[in-house]
Order: sequence, then C-alpha cells, then structure tokens
Amino acid sequence: MINTDGTKPIYIQISEWIETEILNGNFEKDKKVHSQYKLAEMFNINPATAAKGLNILFEQEILYNKRGLGKFVSTDARRIILDKRKNQTLKGLIQEVVLESERLDVSEEEVIEMIKLVKGDAK
Amino acid sequence: MMSLTDPSLAVVVRKQIQFKMKSCIGMFSTLIVLQLIALVFSFGGTGMMGGTRSSLEYEMNYYSADIILVFTMLWAFINAILIKTKDYREDDFVFVTNRVSSNLSNIVLLLIVSIVGAITAMLSSYLLRIGIYFFSDNKEIIYTEVEFLELLTGIIAAGLFIFLFSGLGYIIGTLVQLNKTFAFIIPVVFLGFIFLVEMSSEVHLLLEIGKFYFNEESFWLLTSKTIMTSGLLFTAAMLVSNRLEVKQ
Amino acid sequence: MKVVECNELTKEHGQRKALSNLSVTIEENKITGLIGRNGSGKTTLLKILAGFWAESSGQVNVFSNRPFNSLFVSANTVFVDDQMNFPTALTLKEILEQASKFYEKWDMDLALRLFDYFSFDSKQIHNNLSKGNRSTFNMIIGLASRCALTIFDEPTTGMDAAVRKDFYRALLKDYLAHPRSIIISSHYLDELEVVLEDVLLIEEGSNLLHMPIEELKEYAIGLSGSSDQIDGWISDIDVVHTNTVGLDSKYAAVKNDFTGEALEQIKRSGVQVSSVSPGDLCVYLTQTTTGGIDDVFDRS
Repeated sequence: MINTDGTKPIYIQISEWIETEILNGNFEKDKKVHSQYKLAEMFNINPATAAKGLNILFEQEILYNKRGLGKFVSTDARRIILDKRKNQTLKGLIQEVVLESERLDVSEEEVIEMIKLVKGDAK
Repeated sequence: MMSLTDPSLAVVVRKQIQFKMKSCIGMFSTLIVLQLIALVFSFGGTGMMGGTRSSLEYEMNYYSADIILVFTMLWAFINAILIKTKDYREDDFVFVTNRVSSNLSNIVLLLIVSIVGAITAMLSSYLLRIGIYFFSDNKEIIYTEVEFLELLTGIIAAGLFIFLFSGLGYIIGTLVQLNKTFAFIIPVVFLGFIFLVEMSSEVHLLLEIGKFYFNEESFWLLTSKTIMTSGLLFTAAMLVSNRLEVKQ
Repeated sequence: MKVVECNELTKEHGQRKALSNLSVTIEENKITGLIGRNGSGKTTLLKILAGFWAESSGQVNVFSNRPFNSLFVSANTVFVDDQMNFPTALTLKEILEQASKFYEKWDMDLALRLFDYFSFDSKQIHNNLSKGNRSTFNMIIGLASRCALTIFDEPTTGMDAAVRKDFYRALLKDYLAHPRSIIISSHYLDELEVVLEDVLLIEEGSNLLHMPIEELKEYAIGLSGSSDQIDGWISDIDVVHTNTVGLDSKYAAVKNDFTGEALEQIKRSGVQVSSVSPGDLCVYLTQTTTGGIDDVFDRS
C-alpha cells in the first residue's frame, strides 16, 4: 500500500490515502480518522511520519482538531479534496503529459486524441 | 513520558551476586577436581620420619590436609585473576552495572567462594582419614581430636587465607586490565625477585611475609591481619578499576 | 525532555580522534537512526552514551547524568550489539530470566513470545548460536528490557531479510505500545528509514546532519540531463554529488533550495527531476574522496 522507494514521500502517501478513504465514504463527515499511532501500525511507519501526513490535511482544513480526541473529517472535506486534486494533482499530471509530448514531438491534437482513446477504453 | 528507574547500589549488587553465582558454576567444579587431586597427593603424607631403636624399627607418616589448603589458595588466586579477564568482565557489563557494583559483587562472590573452599578443604581432612584407614597398610593411626569450635576457627582461618590469596589475584587481574604489559611484568618481577634477592641475600623477605601471616598464633591477630590486608588489596583494585573503561 | 546531550564531545583512542567536537541533542521518545560510514565514530558514540567508555573532553549527558560509571544511566539503558557476551554456563532461557531481574520494566511475556516465534530452544547456549540467531536473540533482550534509552548498534548483523523485516516491525509495534528513546546505528538506511523519526549522520566523529527523516528526504533533488544543461543549472548552487552517465549525460544531486517556479522551469527545459533517497544522500554526503569508485579505475 505504501511505496517506500522514495519517489513519493511517505507522509504524502498517508495524506492521499486518507483523502481517498474520505472520497470513498469510509471516513464520514465529523467522524474521527485514524490516529497517528493507528496509521503507523497499519503502514509500518514511524508515527511522526503519520502525524505529518495528518497535519497536512489539517492545514488544508480537510481535517479539524478536537482537543485530546484526535482529528475529525471537516464538513467541506470532500469539496476541498476534489478541488485540490483537480487543481494540483490533475494539473501536475497534465503538465507531465505536455512536457513529455514536447520531448517526443507529439502535437496537441494527437495528445487530445490519445486522451479520448483512453477514456473510450475505460467506458 | 517514560518513567526512569533509580535502583540502589545494594539492590544491583545483590542481583549481580545472584547472576555471578549462577554463571560462575564452573569455579566450583574446578574446586572439586582440584581438591580431589590434592587429596590423592595427601595420601603420600606431608611429612615422614623414621628410625631404629634397639630392635625396634619404626616409621612415622604425617598426614594433613595442608596440600588441599594450598591447592585451594592457588585456586582462589587464579579465580580472582580470571574474574577480571575480558570474558568475565563483558558478562558483567551486559546488564545493569557500574564499576563499583561490579567490584563489590566480585568481592562478595570471591568471599563466598573462599568460604566454600575453606569448608570443603577442612572437611576433606576427614575424607583423608577415611582414605588412610582403608588404603594405608599402616598399623597404627593416631588422630588429633578436633573439637567443633576448633574446626570452626580452622575453617574461618582457612577461609581468610584463601580470601587473602583471591585479593592478591584480584589486584593482579585489575592491573593487567589497566595495562596488558603487567601480564608479563608481574611474573618476571616475581621470579626475578625469588632468584636474585631471595636466593642470594641473607634476608628472606618472602619467608618473613609468609611467617607474618601463617605463623600467627593468636586467632584474633590472624583474623585482623588477613582481613586488613585483603581489604587493602581489594580497595586498591577498586580504585584502579574505577577509572577503567569496559569492552575495549 | 532531552535524553541525550553532547557538547563538543571528543574521544581519543591513542592518537586517533574517534569523535571530535560532536554536539547533538536527542529528544525523548524518538527513534533516531545513527548513520555513518565505517569508522565514522558510531560505535564510539554509542558506547560513551551507554557508559562503557569515558569521554576524553567535552560534555555528555544521558538523562541529565554523565553516563560513565553511572548506575542510574545503566539501569535505564540497554546496549545491544553483536559483541554481547553472556556467561556460557547459562542457557538462553536462563539469560532471559537473569535479564528480567536486572531490568525493572522487563516484559517476560514479550520476550518468551519472540523467543518462540524465532524458534529458539531454551536449552541452547548463546555461544553456539549462528551469527544471525545471536543477533536475533540480542534483539529480544533489547526490546523486552523496555529501557528508556534503547541502543542498537548494527543490530541486524547476520540476520536474513525476513528476520530483519520482522525486527523492524517488532521494534515499531513495541515502540508504539511503549514509546521510548531508541537509537539504531546502521549503514543501511534504506531498510530502516520507514521506522525512523530522525536521522543523525556523522562523519569523522562530527555531527554532519541531524534532522527528521522526512526533511532529509526532501533535502536534495536529483537532476539528470545533458551535461551542458546540468552544468548550467548547478553552477551557483550547493552540489552534493555529480555523476557522468554515458557520453554526454549527467546526474547531479543538489540541495533542494528551489522555488516551485524554478523547479517548473528546470523541468520545462527538459531536465528530469527526481528525489534522492536518504540512503543515497548519506552516501553522497559522506564521500571522503572526490569522485567515486570509478575514478580509481579511470586513470586517463
């Protein structure tokens, strides 16, 4: 589940895993998410790393703190995650696509064609 | 927060003694073997005189457990050196310890071992009598009757002498730990002393030292002499080893 | 609370300085990886912390006490390495029993469960164990003693991959249940890094770098592209390591001081940007000679 080859920091992977769980509905609004210790145990990582992953989500207001109780899913969590994934993750991926297509001399039309093809396959 | 433990020196020393008693079981088995060997030697008798008077020819063999006691003292001496060698020392520092507790538990261990050695050495004189009774073809055996109190003082005196020798071994072991060259210097100086000084000069220092301890008639003087000397030796060893590092 | 404080700590072995002016502070309840090349002073530091060796100069405190000859430090510290010596007269079971008497927080239940899991035989003698099994047994002592400062010096010597994995997992689980300060030295950071919180990298007896592992992962980035391109980008920044690949390609690990924008620019110029693993980074940072092993062979 967790990739330790260093391509992506583990705490980012933790925060992404929680985001996905929220999107899947496994962590509901105003419900408590796993503690850093639970996450550390689950993914075999240091709890400080897990805490860093949780903290990112707290800073992005996807989670909120209840003193002494842990971190909870905020009301707007879903919207924030979707927004972020669209504006950051997806955008980043598209940037990669654009860069690689430039390197390979693939035209914009061709790239769009390829995207359509992949989407068609998925259906 | 993780709570910290703060054990007292006495508690640690007690645990270390128990640990060392368990792990130094080999010492006691060598003691038994050595005392049996000494017993066999003793069957030959430690002294002999004979003669003829008119038509009577007689021969007297003098048997005693002295050889056993000497062997036991040597055994204590070597044990005390061994206890300071690398292997034992590392066993020592594997669990909770510092240099003071390590030394104190060693000393108590050597004391216990000395008492055991003394008891078995003294009691083996009875074994010697039985042996002589069965194996010797001598016609007449004269025993010195020993009362319980005498036996007890005998054991204590023997124990003190054995402990004294372990003190000697202990300081030598410590000096060797301080610097490996002592392992060569000490025997060379000792032998050199015997050959050059003892053999040539009029004054027999070693003999005098021996007399000072072994020819003491008064039990109380003997006790205080040996206790004070061993105390001095062990204290010196502790002072030296307090500065030493372990696991070098 | 500070568990370990070293200030200008120096240790001389004869003429050689094993530690030289090392200053470092380790906070409580962290798992710290002590990383360094052979002979960099890892073991010396750990033995001083455990109270086995005396410092030559400078200050060292463990639980606010000078560790050398301290019963208090010894009672709260366990030092595990592959040189651990146990009396040959004792069986493995008896060693565990003795250990339980010395360490107040000893968990015999855990010790015995690990003992069975790794299929030890209670009648075995420590000296007769294989190298890997000896390390495994010593590890059990280290974990079960639950000391506030638990030191592992190259704990995985001789262990096979499966046991190493079990060890890291056991270490982490026991740490989660009973948080304490743990220092593990190793030259293999890669296997270890997931369980670590901090990394202390030492080189020639000095503190080269001490930071959370997650920061270390982002400390440097790798750039690869044509030599001209790379040289252009790295001319005025902190270069950690360079390596020429093939005819005209170059890889450079550089300190990650780039803004997001600069990084975009670099990417757009066709240079590939990658992360540098902490393990590689530590190797780069502690390379004593310029260049690498290749330069030994390329004399031209």
